[in-house]
Amino acid sequence: MSMMDGTLRVLVVDDEEGMREGMRRVLERSSFQVDLAENGEEAIKLLEENTYDLALIDLKMPGIDGFEVTRYINETLGHQTVIVIVSALATVEAAMEVTRQGAFDFLVKPFVPKDLKQVVERAARQHRLILEREKYLTELASERNLSRQLINSMYEGVVVLNINREPVLMNPKAESFLSVRYKPQLSLQELGLSEEIVNAIDDILQSDSPRDEVRIRREHVGDRMLEIRVNPYQREGENAGVIVILEDVTLQWQAEQDKTRFISMVAHELKSPIAAIINYINIILTGMFDDQVEKIHEMMERSKIRGEALLDLIRDLLFLNQSDAGKVEKAIEKLELKGVLLDQLEFFKAQADRNGITLSLEAPEGEYPVRLDRKDLDRITMNLISNGIKYNREGGSLTLTIQQEGESVVVKVRDTGIGMSEEEMKGLFAEFYRVKNPSTSGIPGTGLGLATVKRIIGEYNGSIQVDSRPGEGSTFTVTLPRA
Amino acid sequence: MKKILIVDDDPDLQAGQKDYLEGHGYEVLTAGGMQEGLQVLQSTAPDLILVDLMMEHYDAGFVFCAKVREKPELAGVPIIMQTSARDKLGFTPDSYDEKARSWMKADTILSKPVAPEDLLKTIRQYLQG
Repeated sequence: MSMMDGTLRVLVVDDEEGMREGMRRVLERSSFQVDLAENGEEAIKLLEENTYDLALIDLKMPGIDGFEVTRYINETLGHQTVIVIVSALATVEAAMEVTRQGAFDFLVKPFVPKDLKQVVERAARQHRLILEREKYLTELASERNLSRQLINSMYEGVVVLNINREPVLMNPKAESFLSVRYKPQLSLQELGLSEEIVNAIDDILQSDSPRDEVRIRREHVGDRMLEIRVNPYQREGENAGVIVILEDVTLQWQAEQDKTRFISMVAHELKSPIAAIINYINIILTGMFDDQVEKIHEMMERSKIRGEALLDLIRDLLFLNQSDAGKVEKAIEKLELKGVLLDQLEFFKAQADRNGITLSLEAPEGEYPVRLDRKDLDRITMNLISNGIKYNREGGSLTLTIQQEGESVVVKVRDTGIGMSEEEMKGLFAEFYRVKNPSTSGIPGTGLGLATVKRIIGEYNGSIQVDSRPGEGSTFTVTLPRA
Repeated sequence: MKKILIVDDDPDLQAGQKDYLEGHGYEVLTAGGMQEGLQVLQSTAPDLILVDLMMEHYDAGFVFCAKVREKPELAGVPIIMQTSARDKLGFTPDSYDEKARSWMKADTILSKPVAPEDLLKTIRQYLQG
């Protein structure tokens, strides 16, 4: 449109002055803006300088005639100018010829103002249609642009294959997942997808009737685990290609793997004590030790210990499960570490006495406040003290020390027990890890204690370290932020 | 007196089977793991070996069997594997055939916990043959 207010701009080209002026009067009365040209050359000059919505062109002019002006408008300028040819040559052939040249309509001379108005109104309508179509095409193009941007910003990788199984679109995520740069004429093989995925793609493309089914498969691609979905892509009910969506599920997959591994370890740990207990019972039931009561008692005593250890394990597992599910409500409070440790040592005194182990606490004068849930702090210290007694030697000692270090409070739990080698310390804080050697084989444990301790300490932004030497003992160092 | 070596990381299974087998007239040696078991074999040649599968590692029992079979002097010693994962390995007593024997190196595989009578029966079967 040439004018912002919606007035259409018309170019009238005619070598007869009377004709030109007559048309101008009629058109201006109908609110058109009119420019006049008296020959083809003048018309082309005006067309180069201005944009016209409509052009009324006389066919027969000296020099450049109406056909040539029409051709010029359509081919050279490519303007969306609606052309009406004005001519006395009222033949069917002439009408067909001008239409072929790209004119929209034909006005036969001589004509009355009403004829002119009708033709021009039709042309104006046509012009409006052209504008609307243009607007629609522009919108479509920007929508396409938007779709493309959407696809490019997706978290998933997208690959579109046409009916000839050629990749026609790949977003940057897909390029990065598959380590392939998109280029025209890229082949399906070059994407490096598995045979199963390629088969699924071919299945969809080759099926006679379009299918809605989506194929999903997980596979390793590079160091990622991708969930690959192959979706049929249909246009008007016909197979048009395939859309492949690639989702990075590596973290999820790892978590599932860990869970599976954890569950099979739990199953093994649960089975072992039960197998041991059943084994003792089976032997007792054979009756072969019926006359050796002390042997039977010994087996029952061991069964009891294993049963209790199994209960401990189940309790620890439930605790782990609760903290996993976030079910444990924390009552975090300011606690004085020295007091808590003295309480704990008091609690363990009887057990330590039975094993001939001396317990002691060393702490310089002062306060050692920490912020934890009392149950969590108990769990940490009980586990470490209990280990220090269990893995100690007869007549050994367990020493707790508290120190202030910068913004932290440091607790050391030092035993004089069997200790560990470098090799044995690896994985010490992992779930179900237990040091296995002849000196530990009779000591019950769930393999969850230190894993739980480390986990709780982590929740309070603390840390735990171990230092140990075989035959000399171990020192566990817990660092917690000072409250 | 026939000599049996029990290799198991569970001290109670070890102790129970030791008592039971001693009560049936066998001399029993014990080891708490693959390494300890191999050490015992350096100085003693038992008539039969009972071995657990999951010890230091989940497949320590297999490794142990393979190492025993490498020793010519132990080539003929029957090995009975006991594991709680037998069914997970896909074996039933019937499906444990020559092929399985050739790669697992154990003569038979029993599901834990093994009933004492079944253990005794199996041991007698291998010690007679």
